[in-house]
Amino acid sequence: MTTPAATTGTTVAEILAGVLDEPAAALREQPILAAHDWDSLTSLEALAQLEARFHVSLDLTAFNAARTVDDMTALVTAATPA
Amino acid sequence: MAAGNVPSRQTLLESTDPVLLRKAGKQLRKLPADPDLRQVTVAVLATSTVGPYRDLLTSALVGAGMWPAIDPGEYGTFEITLASGRFTTGADPDLVSLLMDESFFLPADWSPTDVPALAAHVEGRLHELGELVAAALAGTAATVVLHTVPLPAQVRDGLVSLRDRAAVAQLWTRLNAGLLDLAREHPQVVTADLVGLLADAPFAARDERLHRYADLPYTDGALLLLAGEVRRAAQARAGLSRKVLALDLDNTLWGGVLGEAGAEGIELGGLYPGNAYKQLQLSVRRLREQGVILVLASKNDAALVDEVLAGHPEMVLGADAFAVRAVNWKAKAENLRAAAESLGLSTESMVFLDDSPFERGHVTAELPGTVVLDASGDPAHLVRTLLRTGWFDVLDLTKTDLQRPQLYRARALRSDFSTGFGSSQDYLTALGLRLTPAPVTGYTVARAAQLAARTNQFNLTGERFDQATTTAMSTSADHLVATFEVSDRFGDEGVVGAAWVHRDGDRWRVLNLVLSCRVLGRGIDLAIAGWLARQARAAGATRLEASYVASKKNGVAAGFWTTAGFAAGAEPGSFVLDLTTEPGDLPGWITLRERSDA
Repeated sequence: MTTPAATTGTTVAEILAGVLDEPAAALREQPILAAHDWDSLTSLEALAQLEARFHVSLDLTAFNAARTVDDMTALVTAATPA
Repeated sequence: MAAGNVPSRQTLLESTDPVLLRKAGKQLRKLPADPDLRQVTVAVLATSTVGPYRDLLTSALVGAGMWPAIDPGEYGTFEITLASGRFTTGADPDLVSLLMDESFFLPADWSPTDVPALAAHVEGRLHELGELVAAALAGTAATVVLHTVPLPAQVRDGLVSLRDRAAVAQLWTRLNAGLLDLAREHPQVVTADLVGLLADAPFAARDERLHRYADLPYTDGALLLLAGEVRRAAQARAGLSRKVLALDLDNTLWGGVLGEAGAEGIELGGLYPGNAYKQLQLSVRRLREQGVILVLASKNDAALVDEVLAGHPEMVLGADAFAVRAVNWKAKAENLRAAAESLGLSTESMVFLDDSPFERGHVTAELPGTVVLDASGDPAHLVRTLLRTGWFDVLDLTKTDLQRPQLYRARALRSDFSTGFGSSQDYLTALGLRLTPAPVTGYTVARAAQLAARTNQFNLTGERFDQATTTAMSTSADHLVATFEVSDRFGDEGVVGAAWVHRDGDRWRVLNLVLSCRVLGRGIDLAIAGWLARQARAAGATRLEASYVASKKNGVAAGFWTTAGFAAGAEPGSFVLDLTTEPGDLPGWITLRERSDA
């Protein structure tokens, strides 16, 4: 059975993969965002998409500190109302 | 659209989702140029980071039938690029979009206790912007699109005195009035009212985090609004706006079904929902006053409809408001096709408003170039549905725009008149055609540029000289730009043609000749060629050169130069008329009327 956390993780990974224009498998293989084409423009596009998709407002300092897909998922989960 | 994951053009045009449009724009930029869309180059100059604006603008322009090459410029080069008028797009761009925030106008720091000093600085910067824009315009024929700028909350709320806050708000309103005034001062400038749009849209102007982090002064939503306005300017400039509005009746121009409720039972005027339909009719009438041709497309009993159009006390649009009334039980696509034909226009010049998903679906399938608008749902939204996309926008209203509905009604009458003649020459002679050529003037230059942009069928070289270039040519000794007015016994058609000619001593060369499709088939084109030959000969020229560049739509003009007596030139598509002998006669059914200033 898929847990809500797993669903969030999948959606976050899909959004990040879309922004980076890479298959989700490539992010699973190398989850460190900086290893991909993660520049300021793509990171802000990811921010816009994550906030719109999950209806959250992310702390930009924490967002910039997130290094991996899992970090990003944790950030979104923490910002999502219970 | 080639890419499977890019939304349809209609979605690109109508969506208000910045996330979707930003993604779509990014995808579109990776695709090769679509040759079926009008190519357009845009230089973006920003006082900040351009950010997602490029992707949003791409989506907006593709949605309206344009394929853009957008150059976002270098960060921090706003003033120097404007001052030099040299854009990095290679050739002169079609549009320059200025993306401005308050940082251009405000000092780095300011004192809340000295509002007059703040006002002096802001007004000085507005003046400097005006000079930069004027400098840029000297070196470009592009349309420059600027926008009003929102007063940042930190400035407004940083003043604790309510009186001073009002004074700064007044100052900012003056700044925006000054920005809008630049469009009045310069015909090449369009100022979008971003402040007004933001007041009417569900988007915040700013995300403070992104402003501080990335120097992005506007949210994606605000940039989407601006992209929409730039798209409208580009669409109007490219002549992609529509001329005809085809309207359904039941549950569109009035509420209810006439055949069931009867003339007295339909909802029109008075309280809701009748007032919503009446407001739509008033908006449609205003469009007609600005040159939009109206067509009725309704499956109804024609006699009953006539009764309502003539007798309903709340009916705003009478029978004579419509150039064509297609009230019958035929398929609407068939009626629209026939209406377009009788008007001498293409179905691609039409917008169709109907509440029925069946009728909309059928028209979409049969006439893919027709814009289809959905009139279903709450009638309170009808006016916004009709107007929000700006399908009828033009840069400037010309005299011909204002007369167009009457002109096209006269054209429909002309079709009836033509049925009583034995030959088309008898008919043409009875029409009493008059052609008036004249050098382009300040009054007609906008119309000449509009004809260049909009004419596809009788457009001999496809060179679309814009208003700035046409104006420059009109004052050059090396060029002749002429406009051609036509009238007949049914009325005045206005300026229907234009020619751009290079005068090079004894050799004149027609750079382009365009003629509105509504006067084709009357010999006007031949009379124009004859007039040009006489002008050239009178000026001492010995040869008049011309060319024909085939496009997808100008096949009707392929044999024109040969018919006009020109011989094929050395290059393919080139033609020459020897002026050492007297040119042939003009068509006998056309009277040439020379203006005294011609």
